[in-house]
Amino acid sequence: MNVKRLAPWASAVALLFVAACGGDDGGSSESPNDTSAATETTAGGDSSSAGGSVFVTGSSTVEPISIKVGELAGTAEGGDIAVTVEGPGTGDGFKKFCAGEGDITGASRAIKDEEAQICADNGIEFVELAVAIDGLTVATSPNNPAIECLDKAALYALTGPESEGFASWADANELAAELGSAFATLPDAPLSIYGPGEESGTYDSYVEFAIKKIAEERGTDDFTRADYTASPNDNVIVDGIESSDTSLGWVGYAYFKAEGDRMKGIAIADSDGKCVAPSDETIADGSYPFSRTLYIYVNKAKAAENPAVVAYVDLYLSEAGVEQVSAAGYVALGADKIQASRDAWSARG
Amino acid sequence: MSTVELSPTDLRNREKSRGSLVLGFGLLVAVTFTLLSLFVLLARIFTQAIPAFRERGTDFITDTIGSEPGISGIWPGLFGSFGIGVGVLLLAVPLGLAAAIYLEEYAKPTRFNRFVIVNIRNLAGVPAVIYGVLGLIIFVGWLRPITNGGSVIAAALTLSVLVLPVIIITGMEAIRSVPTGIREAGYGVGATRWEVTRDHVVPYAMPGILTGTVLALSRALGEAAPLIMIGAITGLLPETSLTGKFTAIPMLIYNWSGRPDSAGGAIGWSNSAAAAGLVLLVLVIAFNLTGVLLRQKFEKKRVGT
Repeated sequence: MNVKRLAPWASAVALLFVAACGGDDGGSSESPNDTSAATETTAGGDSSSAGGSVFVTGSSTVEPISIKVGELAGTAEGGDIAVTVEGPGTGDGFKKFCAGEGDITGASRAIKDEEAQICADNGIEFVELAVAIDGLTVATSPNNPAIECLDKAALYALTGPESEGFASWADANELAAELGSAFATLPDAPLSIYGPGEESGTYDSYVEFAIKKIAEERGTDDFTRADYTASPNDNVIVDGIESSDTSLGWVGYAYFKAEGDRMKGIAIADSDGKCVAPSDETIADGSYPFSRTLYIYVNKAKAAENPAVVAYVDLYLSEAGVEQVSAAGYVALGADKIQASRDAWSARG
Repeated sequence: MSTVELSPTDLRNREKSRGSLVLGFGLLVAVTFTLLSLFVLLARIFTQAIPAFRERGTDFITDTIGSEPGISGIWPGLFGSFGIGVGVLLLAVPLGLAAAIYLEEYAKPTRFNRFVIVNIRNLAGVPAVIYGVLGLIIFVGWLRPITNGGSVIAAALTLSVLVLPVIIITGMEAIRSVPTGIREAGYGVGATRWEVTRDHVVPYAMPGILTGTVLALSRALGEAAPLIMIGAITGLLPETSLTGKFTAIPMLIYNWSGRPDSAGGAIGWSNSAAAAGLVLLVLVIAFNLTGVLLRQKFEKKRVGT
């Protein structure tokens, strides 16, 4: 009787124990069920460095490319490389990468000095490879004929740290004129702003593109105004831009391209005052001011001990890999630039 | 008999009074609103999910996550969510039940014990993301040798801690509602406290305990916020294991809803997200059905005694 009553509880405890033991096994050896990836086995401690598998972290902007290339690596000839991809963000990616977690990290900007210092302190050597170009698109509603082109000064006046509280486009005119903007005759229409939150790489890029330089000159913080509708969900941003006729927002070019009929991309005036609209061509030739290079950073030690990492990066930089860049909605690097990345990769030493 | 006898006409007149009519109408509106929003939600999930199932068939269940809705499946999420559900059942339920038995049957009502109970009640209201931070520090960080970082085991442990207060509180309520006579009868025939608890109190309280378990499990299976903190994968995850990188269905729903619906494919990410929601719904119902059936079994037993 006693034993019978206690049996379910005892078995629960036993199962837990088994699960815990399984944890130890999984850490030190290949689990028996993924036989497909068991050709080359390294003695690595955690699963990310186990034979045949690659772990990619970093920017959520680079993530779609890494996923596409990863799928290719899983299906290509001898395609037994199991690629795991996550996209917590550029900053979080570097934090993990420089702590030795992850073989590769994607970044929507170059590594910062302090991040590189942490990597160096932890003895992590890496190689930086440019893989694609992303354009940032400043957009408004398709029903807003008044706004065709803006310059950095006008965008600073509309969305910079000094614009807090501006409820109408016209509120920004005085500040825009003071900054020497050619677009200081903004209409008196409600201004509703949508963009990604501070945690997003797209936010960082927007600040870099539109705000940072002027903020430095004026001694203000290099942030956007806080009173805008921030969302990590690009669909929410697109919905917001579409919902108001006089909206203003910014998204990655990939999202703009996918949802182009719901938004109107605003041309950006370059340093000569010439308006350049966002398009595949203007981004590829570098004439569109709001475009950025996307990178992957590869841990040299992990590449040396894990052939799967080498195979994956080789694929990333191959013609087939470059095709994935456009498939993911970004703009492929020019022939000379992708060649420079290939050279850097083969010269990693 | 000193009670006032009410004739049927009195009762009918009372129901007709304006106050009770207004109140009755208000309650009806509340019920209708609740049912209507539930109906709209279900209808929307179904209409969105059907194209995904039509296009993908059973591949949607067995394929791994990918770059396009047309080739993405939910297998790693299903594996993760099922693992979390089983983990919570094995860990949080016995632990919570044991705590509830101790606090109701064994602990003396000292000031300290009352303080403990108040704190458990408060813990039930702590936002899930806070438990995510806890899970990140303890189960992903300190207990890395056991969990191997952000794994199904780490997620199951974190969500177990998350639902423990709910299980303890409902367990305590259920045990408290057991009539004192049952305990006294047990002591009367010479049973020890543990025998009374094991053979009489817990079986009698079981329906209530199972209700708490069902609630707790549903909550654990539906949480995404703690899993974001732990680092669930949403990009690409070809291998599923208890100790490797993991994902769960709520994470996939959250992530897929955030992806743009490209014009090309037959189905968009919103369809995949809705289909994932449907799978989660079925998973939760399957877990809960087990709980409900068990509860009925115990309820029948109780009536029989």
